[in-house]
Amino acid sequence: MSDVLPVDPVALREEVKAKYRAVAEEPDATFHFHTGRRNALGLGYPPDVVDAFPDVAVESFAGVGNPFELRELRPGERVADVGSGAGFDSFVAGRAVGPTGHVVGVDMTEEMLDKSRATAASLGYDHVEFREGLAESLPVEDGWADVVISNGVINLCADKRLAFDEIWRVLRSGGVLQFADIANGQPIPEGALKDIDLWTG
Amino acid sequence: MLEDVGFVGVEIGPPVDTFGGAEGEEKARQFEVYGHAFLARKP
Repeated sequence: MSDVLPVDPVALREEVKAKYRAVAEEPDATFHFHTGRRNALGLGYPPDVVDAFPDVAVESFAGVGNPFELRELRPGERVADVGSGAGFDSFVAGRAVGPTGHVVGVDMTEEMLDKSRATAASLGYDHVEFREGLAESLPVEDGWADVVISNGVINLCADKRLAFDEIWRVLRSGGVLQFADIANGQPIPEGALKDIDLWTG
Repeated sequence: MLEDVGFVGVEIGPPVDTFGGAEGEEKARQFEVYGHAFLARKP
């Protein structure tokens, strides 16, 4: 856990929830980031993967990169998806690991969980489940995961060290963390780092 | 930070223009914000 955090983690979580509640409920609205199929294709997801899913599975996708770019998942792997949102990356993972594998998506926003669970049921993805929880306190057993994925979530955690410590805990020895996130090439001024509104917009 | 936690074999993918054409593009350009894929292993 980090000693000094730039913002209050609880206040930041509420701001993030409000933003992503809107993404779940109004996916066609305008946000400061791209969403949906256009976003997934722009980030390099293969068209055949994106096209394999109905609109409801991809319309609220708000990832910032492709966590499957540097390594493909393998059949039978157990995958934890940190900040699973409406579930698109969990469904992509579920398709890759197949019914002998298992995917646990974790998200803190009720509307996203409702949507991802309904979509999993409609897809018949019994091996993909969604649990309510935080990146900093994952509801996953120690050493359970072969792979942890995440997409655009760690940058929204006030305590990134704690989030990575949690990922470490749930990964088995020899397990893999493959995630996508944003990084800045220019330093962010201290005043901006303390402005919660800038974290989510 | 990944290596501080204990991860090894850290790889970073090429940048993708996450915010290009979106409302957040101007701010992203200001701080050279891009998306990346990351890979790391727990020994």
